[in-house]
Amino acid sequence: MSLTEQYSYPEEIRDEFISTEDIVFRDGTHKSAEEIWYFMTEEAPAKYPYAFTKSNHYHRRLSQDVTLPSTIKHNYLILTMNERISRARANGTPVVFVQGGQSVDPYYAAGAIALRPASTGLWAAGQHEGLNLNQEELRRMNQREKAHRATSFEICQTAGYENIQEGNLPVDMIAPFTCLRCSDISYGVESHRHGKRKLNLFLGDYPLSHQKDKPWAVEYFAQNLRRLTREINGFTGRQTSEADLWAEIKLHNAGRRLAVDTAEAWWAADSPPTNGIDRRAIFQMGSMEMHGDPSASVTVLKEANRYIKERIKKGVKGEGVPDNAARIFVCGSCVRPNEYRTEEAGGIIVGNDNHWSDISTIVDEEGSDPYLNLSRAILSYPYEQDIKGRAAWTVEQLRKSRAHGVLFLYNWGCNTQSAIARMLCDEVKKLTGLPSLIIEHDQGGVQSEQLQNRVNAFVEMVRP
Amino acid sequence: MSQLNEGKLYFAGVDIGSNAAKSVILADDRIIGQAIVPTKADVEKSGVTALTAALESAGISRDDLSYTVATGYGRISASYADEVITEITCHAKGAHYFFPNARAIIDIGGQDSKAIKLDSNGNVVDFVMNDKCAAGTGKFLEVIARALEVSIDDLSRKTLAGDYACPINSTCAVFAESEVISLLASGEKEENIAKGLHYAVAKRVASLFSRIGSNGGDRVFTGGVAKNVGLRSALEEVLGSTLLVSPVDPQLNGAVGAAILARSNKLEELEEVDD
Repeated sequence: MSLTEQYSYPEEIRDEFISTEDIVFRDGTHKSAEEIWYFMTEEAPAKYPYAFTKSNHYHRRLSQDVTLPSTIKHNYLILTMNERISRARANGTPVVFVQGGQSVDPYYAAGAIALRPASTGLWAAGQHEGLNLNQEELRRMNQREKAHRATSFEICQTAGYENIQEGNLPVDMIAPFTCLRCSDISYGVESHRHGKRKLNLFLGDYPLSHQKDKPWAVEYFAQNLRRLTREINGFTGRQTSEADLWAEIKLHNAGRRLAVDTAEAWWAADSPPTNGIDRRAIFQMGSMEMHGDPSASVTVLKEANRYIKERIKKGVKGEGVPDNAARIFVCGSCVRPNEYRTEEAGGIIVGNDNHWSDISTIVDEEGSDPYLNLSRAILSYPYEQDIKGRAAWTVEQLRKSRAHGVLFLYNWGCNTQSAIARMLCDEVKKLTGLPSLIIEHDQGGVQSEQLQNRVNAFVEMVRP
Repeated sequence: MSQLNEGKLYFAGVDIGSNAAKSVILADDRIIGQAIVPTKADVEKSGVTALTAALESAGISRDDLSYTVATGYGRISASYADEVITEITCHAKGAHYFFPNARAIIDIGGQDSKAIKLDSNGNVVDFVMNDKCAAGTGKFLEVIARALEVSIDDLSRKTLAGDYACPINSTCAVFAESEVISLLASGEKEENIAKGLHYAVAKRVASLFSRIGSNGGDRVFTGGVAKNVGLRSALEEVLGSTLLVSPVDPQLNGAVGAAILARSNKLEELEEVDD
């Protein structure tokens, strides 16, 4: 296995690619497909060689399904994160740290950019050019170690400490919701109080226990959202109106609906129309957070939706997808198995509940108070309900995705997901009879053989 | 004449584990050759060495083989294999070969311990493995044997001579080693320490086993550690049931299963050709 052999997009797809649509950004600017092609074939391989590593052992390697233009555009957006976010920040747009699995409508309505931990990691990675995969992995792990030294070796959730406090990301505010998904986020936020940089700290206080059914909880969280937008307005100098929030909700709902529509078509197809890594990226674009620009995400998603439906109509299977693949649905936050190696073994990841919970929750666009509507939706996240509630929703996704088995993965040091994994899998088994496998994931990096071996054995077990 | 009717077909299974590379040769469905060699730094070479030794013991050459399946962690290096399959699937087939009524397997290898539930055809229906930890694996016993300056076989024999089992931390091999040294320093008998160790491993493995549940049938103990009489005794006591061990070296179980799968997959291929 060579971790230095490079991939490049084949010249023969250029003409077709450059005839596809521009990406349209939030500020109204455009990037043409031709400019994207130039970046991805000339600039990026020199700047970020690690991203072009060819080996299947690198789970983030570029998908080689080259006739899906959204894949190339998605990778473009990921690799230009540093350039775009830094420029926006320099132009006065504040950047706010949030957690994964939450929506970001109010942050954007207030004029900020909202980034979850992985996105701050991408922003930081973009500041270092010319690194091969080994060098980039070492850089990332050394940086994370700084966070562990400052906080604790045993935490999973560093709340971006490594790149914000120990690095040089000019993040303005730490302001996640304290969702169940990550019970440690509050401690991560607290750690910033003792960091080198004094940052605005904010906790979107998320009530628990049948929260969506309690009027006081909906009003309480709505107050948190109003306070959040006011805090961000302190940076922008402008006031967020209810019309601003309605407009943002509509935009983000458009993305969510596209992601859900794409997912339902993908799941119902006779053969998976994309490989696992493309599927994951396309579905997750519906979070509207992934690229640091919701408008850009929507344009790429629209195109992806069309292309995928076209493939389904023609019976086209995704590149590298095996015949009679074992369809595996992944539960658990923040981590996933190596899609390429899982496909080599005869499986395919058909869904992840992580992020899907907030993506599949559409905010009501009718009514008089957008904050109340947003609050109601956020408190309804399936991931945040009790075990039985979360399991019932998971079962619905398993049926739609026609999964053969459930893989529950959690990060080493993750208290929440590790605590509920067994209970959720037992409940799912009771309701569906589907087998499950629970694995503790490695903390990032090139995935261990030990983990992949277990995934492969599960694939062999459930494969039809 | 189709290949199916041309006479004997030979199949090979190669199981390249962290400690040892094992190989088995089948003539139709009979074991005619086997070998176990240590796994060295050159994992591919270790697999080839095991295969070559097994072929020699069978009296055939590599050209005689119809199909080879490789398994174990080292399988990704097995360029000579026609197919690679995980050892979980292979162990199930291997146990089923010797014990058709087997419905559960405990496999303890060098760095993994597994509990596998299988159906009446030897297919895996559930499994659970240890996490990133040596506790409950062969490595755990090796570490302690080294601390006590005895061989694994001697450690096993000492278990049977112990009066009682010293409570030992069963969650970390490294910490358990420190505990053993402290116990020795305090004058505790080696036999009781050995007994405690084996019970610690047995309890760890039993808790894995409890997660797959029982569906009746025989319970089979496979892997190199199945040769450890002390651990087998401890496991049977903790589980409250007899564990069957194969008539051939249980360390070969994975390789047997790989060879069985080589046979079934090749025959399936040949039947498709004949159709």
